[in-house]
Amino acid sequence: MTPTDELLFRLADDEYVIAERYTEWQIYAPTIESDLALANIAQDEFGHARLWYDLLEERGYEEKNLLWERAPEDFRHSTLCELAFEEGDWADPVVRSYLYDTAERLRLEALVDSSEPAIASRVGKVLSEEGYHREHAQSWLERLSEGESRERVQAALDRLFPHALSLFEPGENEREIVSEGLRTESLFDLREEWFEITIPYLESLGLSVPEPEEVERPEVRGRDGSHTADWFDLHESFTSTYHELGFDQPTRLRGEGA
Amino acid sequence: MSSERPSPTACAYTDYVSGEGHEEFPKTGEDATGIERRVWDALSAVEDPEMPISVVDLGLIYGVRIGEIDGKTNAVVTMTLTYTGCPARSMLKGDIREAAATAEGIDSAEVSLVWSPEWTLEMVSEAGKEDLREFGLSI
Repeated sequence: MTPTDELLFRLADDEYVIAERYTEWQIYAPTIESDLALANIAQDEFGHARLWYDLLEERGYEEKNLLWERAPEDFRHSTLCELAFEEGDWADPVVRSYLYDTAERLRLEALVDSSEPAIASRVGKVLSEEGYHREHAQSWLERLSEGESRERVQAALDRLFPHALSLFEPGENEREIVSEGLRTESLFDLREEWFEITIPYLESLGLSVPEPEEVERPEVRGRDGSHTADWFDLHESFTSTYHELGFDQPTRLRGEGA
Repeated sequence: MSSERPSPTACAYTDYVSGEGHEEFPKTGEDATGIERRVWDALSAVEDPEMPISVVDLGLIYGVRIGEIDGKTNAVVTMTLTYTGCPARSMLKGDIREAAATAEGIDSAEVSLVWSPEWTLEMVSEAGKEDLREFGLSI
């Protein structure tokens, strides 16, 4: 895989998988507004996934091999995106979105001046649609961190933080991605910046953030194709209808080539 | 009466930002002539699926290029969408391609989707803003 393709798969798979998980909250979120907000955030992330997968198609991949017929171990998303939610645990999507969207902004900002024009020309639009995701997560985090629900937030943070570190797990082409200017910052530096933003903020809410160096990391990292069991279940579930219907090609209600 | 700030409500997000404009936009094809003119006119007949405004006045069309492929006249329409997650994406691209292909003198048409410069409300033409106001939107 080329460095550009690796970068694009990480972007697209993260967005696709986290959106797929968010949709599970539809009709179950605690208020009608939060239900609509999370559904809308999911739609944004699907849109962004689409935009990066489009670019992979332009680079020679086919839609069916990008999603429907790609083996689950070929997906390169962070394990943070794939974890199943515990029933009714609203603190989880709130914490997850905060950790993820803060990392995403840093990552996108490091792509604004990408040496690959096709990437640079898409970043602005994506960034402009991201700000509200963080606002939504922070507004909920601040409310949930007051009173007895703080324990739930803390539990979600303890569970998700080790997986969030895999957002910054380098892939095999990390060195080239930086030296070729595809991304203008290394994952190591992005992770440092993410610590500088997330740790003081979470602590200001009265939460205790695991010490990054002392965190027991899950064996699976996502970026190398190793994933939790939750991912294999999710993959099975979102590809099952496609396989049941047995089309030769992914079908569309109204094809773009029509 | 209490002067305390109201506690946060479930719906805290009400801000609506119009975004920045771009010097060369919106593109409306006003200086186009001949075949290119006819393509712009055909595109002006395509409406947004949610609002009574043409895709040209909405500012989605970034350019029309006429070329020849094997002796046939081909139109390439460069366009954007208001939103990356636009659910009408396939429909709009299809409608725009078909409209361009029906313009007199055109044998085939293609659509190229781009995301830069970013679409914002500033991309809507003056005529489009009128259409949207009449529809009941505050713009």
